[in-house]
Amino acid sequence: MKTLVSLLIMALAISACSPKDERTHVTVQRIFGECRANVPRDQAPLRNPDGECEILTGLIDQFERENPDIDLTVNIVAWPGYDQLSAQYAAGNPPDVVSIHMSSMPDYQSRGLIVPLTAELAQVGVTAKAFTPAARQGVTIKNELYGLPFDNWTPLWHINTGLFAKAGLMRDGEPILPRTPEDLLAQARQFKAATGKPYFVQSMINERAAYTRNLYTYLMNQKAAFFEDPKHIRLNTPEARRIVALFKQIYDESLTTKDQDYSSATQGFMNGQGGVYLVGTWMIGAYEAEANTPGQPLYKSYTVKPYPMLFGPEQAAYVDGHAWVVSNRERTPTQNEAVRRFLKFLYDHNYDWSRTGHLPTVQAVAQSPQYLSLPHRRDIVALSEIGRTLPSEVQRQFAIQDIIGDELFSAIAGHKPIEQALTDAETRTNDLLFHLL
Amino acid sequence: MLSAKAKTQLGNFLFVAPYMFVFAWLLVWPLMSGMGLSLFKADLFGGATFVGLENYGRLLSDPVFLQAVGNTFLFVLLCVPPLAIIPLILALLLNRSTRVAAFFRGVFFSSSVLSVTIVTLIWRMVLIPDGGFVANILAVFGLPPIPFFSDPGIVMGSMAIITVWWCLGLPMMLYLSALQQVPQDIYEAAALDNSRWWTTLTRITLPSISRTVVLVVIMQCVLQFQLFGQPQLITQGGPNGASRPIVLFIFEVGFRRWDIGYAAAASQILFAIILLVTLGQYLLTRKRTGDA
Repeated sequence: MKTLVSLLIMALAISACSPKDERTHVTVQRIFGECRANVPRDQAPLRNPDGECEILTGLIDQFERENPDIDLTVNIVAWPGYDQLSAQYAAGNPPDVVSIHMSSMPDYQSRGLIVPLTAELAQVGVTAKAFTPAARQGVTIKNELYGLPFDNWTPLWHINTGLFAKAGLMRDGEPILPRTPEDLLAQARQFKAATGKPYFVQSMINERAAYTRNLYTYLMNQKAAFFEDPKHIRLNTPEARRIVALFKQIYDESLTTKDQDYSSATQGFMNGQGGVYLVGTWMIGAYEAEANTPGQPLYKSYTVKPYPMLFGPEQAAYVDGHAWVVSNRERTPTQNEAVRRFLKFLYDHNYDWSRTGHLPTVQAVAQSPQYLSLPHRRDIVALSEIGRTLPSEVQRQFAIQDIIGDELFSAIAGHKPIEQALTDAETRTNDLLFHLL
Repeated sequence: MLSAKAKTQLGNFLFVAPYMFVFAWLLVWPLMSGMGLSLFKADLFGGATFVGLENYGRLLSDPVFLQAVGNTFLFVLLCVPPLAIIPLILALLLNRSTRVAAFFRGVFFSSSVLSVTIVTLIWRMVLIPDGGFVANILAVFGLPPIPFFSDPGIVMGSMAIITVWWCLGLPMMLYLSALQQVPQDIYEAAALDNSRWWTTLTRITLPSISRTVVLVVIMQCVLQFQLFGQPQLITQGGPNGASRPIVLFIFEVGFRRWDIGYAAAASQILFAIILLVTLGQYLLTRKRTGDA
């Protein structure tokens, strides 16, 4: 027994002799997936070098290499990551720095869970003026920056130019885009008659957000103030009815794919199942790679454009984005310093991140020849100027997006009259907002 | 001083105390907390305000919740009878000591060990109208695909098909276990009386395993009232809310909207529904057994 106790004491003594870790510990939580197998530490990615996960993994490796005095613990959570984050907050142990959507920031800001960063960023020489208008709007609440904007994203028209050419919808190497709802319907009919395929590829089965984003963009196009204040939405309006009626007409005439979920639609566009896929900036890299691969259906047949304005001259786009926020928890001064250095590092590498297809948030990057020489970026960079998020004090934007998308699909697929669906969307959203604490 | 009897009772209690402590801590206390929380307007981060029964009033006038309740009952009605009958048929067929029967027992049980994520991935490939297995077969015959996930009239049936395939392993094993406990001499006596297969089944086998049938039905009711993963992963409750069950409603309200008091009230209603249905079945079957 004595021997055993002695051995235990010795083991404890030896373990206590290990060198003290003097590094500053900071916890970072992010989405975008896990791809370490594809990105060996301190090496270039083996595949998909412009993927979100690959770029961010490489950036964090680089930060750790350049800052040996800081130890980053990186938690990778499944998209969108809010269930885990909320649970961590509820348990009193949130990560120090978290990637979240700009549309979710009001939820955490309103409950005092994230800290304002204007002063923190100023300490490392970053001011609000450095950001693009869309990015600045997305992270500013009550005149304070509550996050470091990392990107803006928005749905785009991803176009199969090969099929467009077959339908006679190309001019001087550029797709002819519609300017009115009637134009769009005429083009879609012409496209279907010429190619036998639907004009649109859309994900409908489990992608409720897409219709909501379409609605927001085209409401902005009509200058409709659908959020008169952060607690009330107005949706059963002539502007909204026009938009839904257009998409219903497209659905009724089978000018769109039906019964596809997100992965079917994404793959379907790649396989040339339709002319235009309504999906976000994040698909640019993958489709561009297909367009550069001989033998693929999209080979030399791909371009991407902002949504054409169908209801008026107002150039508009609903945008969201990813931002890095800092949780409201106790930290030592050295930890705060480490957090600032990490944010500054991400700010400095905004170009690297913009290779994903997302819009840059740093004005200097958006205007740089380096960024503008990337494929299709000249076509979409204006969105970082004109893109708008929802008003910054609207809470539960993810939940609202789901409710509206749910009701819009009901109207478009004919399960409900348009007026009723818009009224239901309005009632459900306002009920949600009314019952916020 | 404790009497000898009291000492014995205390000693006995100590044997069950660890279990009782964990039971109270992890089940009774959360249940009570949930009941309390349902009387508050609260989010995930505190700030609760007492609102009495307001959350229950809201639920009873919330068309989305009422639709979810209807969906859940429909799902239970679609699922429980097949989950009581198909495993019974399989158990009757496989209740023999051959290698083929052993192999098929393993085959039919194997789906039960899969996670809901895998199950939904498999069935998505089978049922999705755009290039799915069923759609491809229908296309061979020149038939259009069936919108398994986007037609409000069909979607709950699709969920039921997936769930029956996934869940039939355990009831089959319970039936097999019950069948193997029926004394063989009764069957021998029936054989001597030239009893026909149907008579043996209805007069000997089914009465002998009636308690297991009740157990399977009650267990499946409790399980299927808690439908969540399949619609959450495949349809997110759509189209038009037709595949949103109560648990998905609770999840959306609690974790997407952070309206945790409202979600707790919906949880209490689900708890009450399951309790009433289970008790009703139990009392009904006990009465019948008593009558017999």
